Amino acid sequence: MPQTIRKLFPPAAFVALIGAIFWATSLGTLPPAEFTFNNGTEIKSLDPAQVTGSPEGRIVRALFEGLYSPDAKTLEPRPAMALTADPKEILTEQGKIYTFPLRRDAVWSDGKPVTAEDFRWSWQRLLHPETGSQYHFVLSAYVVNAAKYNAGIVDPGDQVEIELPNRPRLQQLFPRGKMLHGKLLEIERPDASGVSEIQTGNEKSESKREWIYTVQVDGVKRRFSQHPPPGQAVEKCLHLLLNFNQVGIRVLEPYRLQVELKSPTPYFLYLMQFYVTVPVNRTCIERFGYPDWIRPENIVVNGPFQIDFRRLRDRIRLKKNDRYWNASAVQLQTVDALAVESSSTGLNMYLVGDVDWLPSPPSEVIPHLEGRRDYHSISSLSIYFYRLNVTRKPFDNPLVRMALSRAIDRKRICKAILRAGQEPAYSLVPPVLLHYPAAQSPQYNLKAARRLLAQAGYPGGRGLRSIEILFNTSDGHRKIAEAIQQDWQRLGVDVRLRNLEWQTYLSTTRKMEYDVARAGWIGDYPDPNTFLDLFVTGGVQNETGWGNRAFDQLIDQATQEADPDKRMQILHQAEEIIMGELPVLPIYFYVSTNLVKPYVRGFFSNSQDLHPLTSISIDKVEQKKDRSRRDGT
Amino acid sequence: MIIFLARRFLWFLLTLWVVFTASFFLMRAVPGGPFDGERKLEPDVKQAIERRYRVNEPLVKQYAYHLGMAVGVLTEEGKFRLGLPDLGPSYRIRDYSVNQIIAQGLPVSASLGILALAFSLVVGLSAGIIAALRRQTWVDTSVMLLATTGMAVPNFWMAGVCILLFVFMIPLFPAAGWGSVSNLVLPAFCLGAPYAAYIARLTRTGMLEVLHQDYIRTARAKGLTGSRVILHHALKGALLPVVSFLGPAAAGILTGSLVIEKVFHLSGIGSYFVEAALQRDYPLAMGVVLIYTVVLYMMNVIVDISYAIMDPRIKLQ
Repeated sequence: MPQTIRKLFPPAAFVALIGAIFWATSLGTLPPAEFTFNNGTEIKSLDPAQVTGSPEGRIVRALFEGLYSPDAKTLEPRPAMALTADPKEILTEQGKIYTFPLRRDAVWSDGKPVTAEDFRWSWQRLLHPETGSQYHFVLSAYVVNAAKYNAGIVDPGDQVEIELPNRPRLQQLFPRGKMLHGKLLEIERPDASGVSEIQTGNEKSESKREWIYTVQVDGVKRRFSQHPPPGQAVEKCLHLLLNFNQVGIRVLEPYRLQVELKSPTPYFLYLMQFYVTVPVNRTCIERFGYPDWIRPENIVVNGPFQIDFRRLRDRIRLKKNDRYWNASAVQLQTVDALAVESSSTGLNMYLVGDVDWLPSPPSEVIPHLEGRRDYHSISSLSIYFYRLNVTRKPFDNPLVRMALSRAIDRKRICKAILRAGQEPAYSLVPPVLLHYPAAQSPQYNLKAARRLLAQAGYPGGRGLRSIEILFNTSDGHRKIAEAIQQDWQRLGVDVRLRNLEWQTYLSTTRKMEYDVARAGWIGDYPDPNTFLDLFVTGGVQNETGWGNRAFDQLIDQATQEADPDKRMQILHQAEEIIMGELPVLPIYFYVSTNLVKPYVRGFFSNSQDLHPLTSISIDKVEQKKDRSRRDGT
Repeated sequence: MIIFLARRFLWFLLTLWVVFTASFFLMRAVPGGPFDGERKLEPDVKQAIERRYRVNEPLVKQYAYHLGMAVGVLTEEGKFRLGLPDLGPSYRIRDYSVNQIIAQGLPVSASLGILALAFSLVVGLSAGIIAALRRQTWVDTSVMLLATTGMAVPNFWMAGVCILLFVFMIPLFPAAGWGSVSNLVLPAFCLGAPYAAYIARLTRTGMLEVLHQDYIRTARAKGLTGSRVILHHALKGALLPVVSFLGPAAAGILTGSLVIEKVFHLSGIGSYFVEAALQRDYPLAMGVVLIYTVVLYMMNVIVDISYAIMDPRIKLQ
């Protein structure tokens, strides 16, 4: 090593250290936003068709606006892009056809008008199999032929659309390649297994790519396949789907959108205020493609806010969209949505005044928050329950299930463990729905439980194998599982606990590799159906193996029923069946808890925990007082 | 020197490849896929997603594809190119590619790491020297007591106490967040404290050993001032164990930052270290693992080189 290097080394190392420190501390400061809330996590996406969670929903609702938006207080649908919510004006033909007149003064942030075509195109994008939306059911479960389009099901005789493989960018769904339209004549299935019914299994669906479709296009018979066999006169196509004009979504006039439903759906307007149904801007998406179209510099929105910038894991800064049709009603100029994941860090930031609204404060401090002016809690439209795998013994026996249910002391769980005002659950539907009386299952009674277990042939738990409670890793779930373990041990049942982290837990329950599994469900719309139709025989979310023909029929009957009161009765009967058979054990109903600074105006507690930013404002005088009070202490 | 660096570079590439391969197959061996959501998808829809992210292909094919992208010879669509490494899109933060996520988060983690390391060096060295010079006095005892405590206390606990003290009781610093230097003081302190403690102990031991050597006595006999003897002659020898500790310290600070980033809501890449794996975000998890491999490897090379510069007895081979 030369002497010079050795000599120069200490000063050089020192300079490097100072330089590094200088770089590390050279940060730009950020002026605070007018209103800051903790959004809880880094959102998965900003694309309305991709998202599912409530943190994502909060941002999507701020950027885009659908036909309706929920009223901040009552959650009733309030006309947004649609002009009216009056059923007399929009509903025809036994409640099956909705015609929405659209607002003419609504424009995109690029100045172009929002039209019925924007909705049709956005919904087509939402339903397209390649988009992979998890919430497509908001349309596909209700709109005529939407499910067929989404699942890629076609039958001979159908009008179909064929996308040829000449997209400008293969990875991008839009703009699409050349589209052909025609009538499907025949489907050839090379595997020749002779299956003609709708394919459901994953492997079968994979082989579907090899199917050859004969389609009459402009009077000429042509054969297409997604994966054409070599050597045959078969053209390659990217997708062969039902022609979208067969789906019950139609543009009547530039400002008139028509939606045809499979059956009358009294809660359809609630679905239309769901964030996945918002329109997105076609020009913007086709020009930039996903995910570049949602970059702050590219995105075109029609909602009350625009994105100013997004810093991953830190915050999304929203600024008011002056081109929003109702911009005069929006009070906030800038809003910060923080991605603070630790709820105690969120609480610290709230306490020192860096955050104005903190959803779900840490459960440990809730007993101390009770009674504070800035603490809001309300029963929510969601339930915590256990699934029982009825395909396994002994859970195939309804007596055992009932015994297990009656042995759970839910009150103790709510009082001693949860302690945030949660209500014990004896029904599947939370008691927050006004026009629906929930069907109750019998309450806690250890003696009755023992008797039931004896009737089932396991007196004192003798002869019963040990059962396992599966839950996703979390202290909260463990505590509840331990309480239930104790309760069941009193019956003489040997109970083991098993926790898996979230993704493994999901796939394990899906594969039905469990005895008892913890679950939760948040209602998608304020109607009992959102909880009950999960458990129809073979339903995708059922995951218990349970099925009951009478129950299925009632659920089906309810979808056909136009009279709201009768419909509620039918659903009640259905709930009575499932609460009598108990393939699931309701444990408790969640509450939604919020800490909101007293100077925030326009914040209302409600059962779906929706707090539109459009109604929120800041009382500056109060805010000043609050700040000085804190500095004084 | 150049031969040394070239050899190290080759080993570096080999290490990266081994890490890439091992992580690739280990991650995918765990049950649960990245696209399992709470809601089940229609088979066609699920397949469309799987095709887009190529998770339906045979594992070996996926491996070749991802390796090709990471090496910089394949585009996302599988075509040939020559360019910078690309780890593909994140499965969970879908609007961003892994490269973008790391580009946003790494500067945050790096500044936090640099400050914590600088803090631990400055405090650790000074405390160690003072303790060595005032050996077996109350100063020495209390510094060493503090150091032992500092090493024993986990950083999340330290963070909690610091927040209580300096945010709520004496409101000096913000509770959390990122944006100004004051945001970084508490996190850097909590992250660096255990290393400061360790460095203090190393320095003290090193100093004590060196102070008894003949050449120090000679320096004093020459009539040099006390401070010159210590800073110019003794410290050089005492620094060697500290320098060799810097490699592991950088590793610890990097991997330890995930707790601190969470508590102080800093948007670095530390939290992805655990979360990406839990969410089966394979590309992001891979990105974080590779970044850590690169940083650790580089730190170790730097330590080796500075070692050779500082101690004439050591030759780079």
